[in-house]
Amino acid sequence: MQRFLDPEVLAGISSLDLLAKTVVDGFVAGLHRSPDFGFSQEFAEYRAYTPGDDLRHVDWNLFARTERCYLKRYRGETNSQLTVLLDASNSMQYTSGPPTKMDYARYIAASLFYLAIRNQRDAAGLIVFDDEVREYIRPSTRPGQLARLFAGLEQAEARARTDFAKPLEHFQNFLHRRGIAILISDFYENPETIIDTVAPLRFHGHEVVLFHVLDPQEIRPAMKGSMLLVDLETDQRIEVVPEYTKTTYRVKVDAHIEELRSRALGAGMDYQLLVTNQPLDAALREYLTLRQAGN
Amino acid sequence: MGFLAPWFLGGLVALGVPVFVHLLRRHVTTPRPVSSLMFFERGTQSSTRHRRLRYLLLFALRFALLLLIVLAFANPFVRRVSADANSRLLFIVLDNSFSMRAGTRFADAKQQALATLAAKPHSQKAQIMAFGGQLEVLTQPIIDEAQLRAALESIQPGDGHASFGELGRDLRTMSESSRSPADLHLFSDMQHSAMASNFADMVMPANIKLVLHSSAQSTAPANWTIESVDAPAELSDPKDPKRSRVEAVIVGFNTPATTKTVSLVINGKVVASRKVDIPANGRATVDFAPLDVGYGFNRCEVRIEGGDAFPSDDASLFAVRRSDPERVLFVHAAGDNRSAVYFGAALDAAAHSSFVLQSVAAEQATDLDPSRFAFVVVSDAPVLPSIFEHALAAYVAKGGSVLIALGTSAAHHERIPLWGSNARDPRDYARSSGAATVGQVDFSYPALEQAEPGRDNGGWAEVKVLYAVPVDPAQSRITARLTDSTPLLLEKQVGEGRILLFTSGFDNLTNDLPLHPIFVAFVDRTARYLAGSERLSGSRPVDAFVPLRAAATPVGISGNVEVIDPDGRRPLSLGEARTIQSFRLQRAGFYQIRFANGRDAVIGVNPDRRESDLAPMSQDLLDLWSGSSGGGQEAALAPSNERQTQPLSLWWYVMLLALLAAMTETGLASRYMSTLREEP
Repeated sequence: MQRFLDPEVLAGISSLDLLAKTVVDGFVAGLHRSPDFGFSQEFAEYRAYTPGDDLRHVDWNLFARTERCYLKRYRGETNSQLTVLLDASNSMQYTSGPPTKMDYARYIAASLFYLAIRNQRDAAGLIVFDDEVREYIRPSTRPGQLARLFAGLEQAEARARTDFAKPLEHFQNFLHRRGIAILISDFYENPETIIDTVAPLRFHGHEVVLFHVLDPQEIRPAMKGSMLLVDLETDQRIEVVPEYTKTTYRVKVDAHIEELRSRALGAGMDYQLLVTNQPLDAALREYLTLRQAGN
Repeated sequence: MGFLAPWFLGGLVALGVPVFVHLLRRHVTTPRPVSSLMFFERGTQSSTRHRRLRYLLLFALRFALLLLIVLAFANPFVRRVSADANSRLLFIVLDNSFSMRAGTRFADAKQQALATLAAKPHSQKAQIMAFGGQLEVLTQPIIDEAQLRAALESIQPGDGHASFGELGRDLRTMSESSRSPADLHLFSDMQHSAMASNFADMVMPANIKLVLHSSAQSTAPANWTIESVDAPAELSDPKDPKRSRVEAVIVGFNTPATTKTVSLVINGKVVASRKVDIPANGRATVDFAPLDVGYGFNRCEVRIEGGDAFPSDDASLFAVRRSDPERVLFVHAAGDNRSAVYFGAALDAAAHSSFVLQSVAAEQATDLDPSRFAFVVVSDAPVLPSIFEHALAAYVAKGGSVLIALGTSAAHHERIPLWGSNARDPRDYARSSGAATVGQVDFSYPALEQAEPGRDNGGWAEVKVLYAVPVDPAQSRITARLTDSTPLLLEKQVGEGRILLFTSGFDNLTNDLPLHPIFVAFVDRTARYLAGSERLSGSRPVDAFVPLRAAATPVGISGNVEVIDPDGRRPLSLGEARTIQSFRLQRAGFYQIRFANGRDAVIGVNPDRRESDLAPMSQDLLDLWSGSSGGGQEAALAPSNERQTQPLSLWWYVMLLALLAAMTETGLASRYMSTLREEP
């Protein structure tokens, strides 16, 4: 438990304002300015009192000064539903140095759960998958949900291969309420296939965010000599020389990332590349800033 | 091509290292897990092969680097043809001694020398030398054939006497400074009389190979020459039957018995002729008397008429100076009359002297001018009038000569006039050990000169010295000593003149020298020496040196000297005329000389008569000489044509290539092996 709740990480995240991007289906997106002020209500407009309005919303200070009765209206706040889809395939085990991509993904998910449940009072759920759905925790705001989510993250072990189709189908079957779906994976798949698989979520009104977790060695591999590379998922072996990784490989990886980014944005999703050597808080802050800028 | 250190070739085993690394070593790859191989293509296998092919260049460079390093340690060399042959120095020595004037000897020898010079390889250094009276080096070791040829052409026959012993000594001296191998080609008539008395003197140093080229015939031609001429250098009375005569000795070399006409020529005119029968290979004496010559210098010549195979040596030159008898001032103590008597009697008895003694007491010498006398004798007169002593000192400084004899008066006066130092305690041998005798005599000293002194110490052994005055010999030459090492006769150079100090007396009280025959000879030679008449005329051999000024005289104090050679030219430059101390008489003929003290002289110079013996060395001797000098004669007959090789080390070049390979390998390796740096 304790490793997920790193105070420095939480402090870093809480220092930023979170502005809900959209308000869907009458739910109020909350604006988090500062943890010092807790839930805040943002003034929206004044409206003349009409009979039948709740007197609790009358601005009595204004009435005292002007003897006119106005209602003070606020932007509505609503509870959202956060679902994290965590890729637990074998490829997430890769690391060039601690942490592994799997651990890094756990940190991100835990941080998001905490942020959502403690600060946003949102419902949060978890789906751990590889080529099957390994773990499913329904989104909920019940007490102890955070502990259950953390336990689900703890039990998630990388194995088997990645298959986005099955977990997403499961997700669509269980989640009828719209919310935020965050897909954390290394996305070793054709970008077109990924987007095609994930796109139905967006069609149901979910806000979909793709967290692309990669090890720095996967982006800029450093090889001093020729090496025999072993695929963690297929156990296939290929001998590679440094010259190739310096040239063609980098071009391909960059093209893959760029295609995934462009296709995600094109499908109305958010995309964020997270490299495991970047600080956690920086990664989340970068994402939240990105969401804020998107509003 | 070969290797100077072939055992280092064992290092070639190291070549297996790059072969193993690049070609034989199994390419081991480390399995490395990756998330996915979706970005790696199957084509990477061919990339590895491509890389290996490309690394062949690196392999070749490493192979070459190791190979070059091993070769460099093995020190390879190539034999460069003719490097050694050209490195041998070629000495061409042409004999231009007097005997080379005979027939066509000199022309033949020069022709042979020019041919040898023309045959030498272009890159071989050569040095030209002329060998007459002394070895003259005419060029430095150079390869410029035009300069060498010009130097060879410039050599003209001289009048000197060749000595192969001198040649050997000079070359041994030269080889001490340079040990490089050399071939010495000597072009000479190989005169037998030029041989050294000690054969070892003729042997060349080990690095010089001697090649002899003889320009003389195997048999010597018949040649007559004038061996010696006995004539007075100074003559005061032509009617004096003892002195006014010329005696010449005619000698024949390889000649039959014959009759020759011998003439006496004075100042270019034949004044007398004599017929003389000369035996085969023998000598004959010709006498010309009286010798009627005019006042001043007379250039005389004794000449053999008729000619022979070597006409250049048929005349002998000498100069006779006729003058009035010169006066000698004898200053003595007032009570000493014996000294003047003994000295005057000896002076009169001397056959070659032409002196008149003027005796005067020391007290009466005040007004006398010493410059009017040939020399001055101060006998047992420790106290001289100051004016006279001052005049005497000036007289000596300008070139005059003084003979001082110390007597018993020295016991009372320590000071010795003119000498510069005081007398020590006199030694009275009569009271102590009876008498001292003369122990050491320098017979090379002109006043004591004797060619072959006998066992009686040249007559000096009989002389008993009863009283002598020791003096400090500083800055003086001791020419005779007593048996107890007390100096008896000393000479000191003062200015242009000289002072002789006889530490005993000329009377018969301090020694019995005046009673011995040696006294007359001593007085005669001393008088001639002090008067300087010996230097002013007569004859000298070629290459003799004539002292022109005193060695101790500072430059600028004495006057200039002047020398006019037989051709009427002045061989001395103005600078030399101010500083030169002696002059070498290089040529035969009459030299006219003015000394620094202002006196004139005419000297007849004759070649060394040994040059007239034209008999060559025997072939056995020649073979022995060339065979014992640096290597066999046969092996050195044509040294310029032989092609020797010399190993030339390639170490530097191989190391340079190795360095180049190392630098290229470093560049290539860093390019292939470097990892691309991540962009920040």
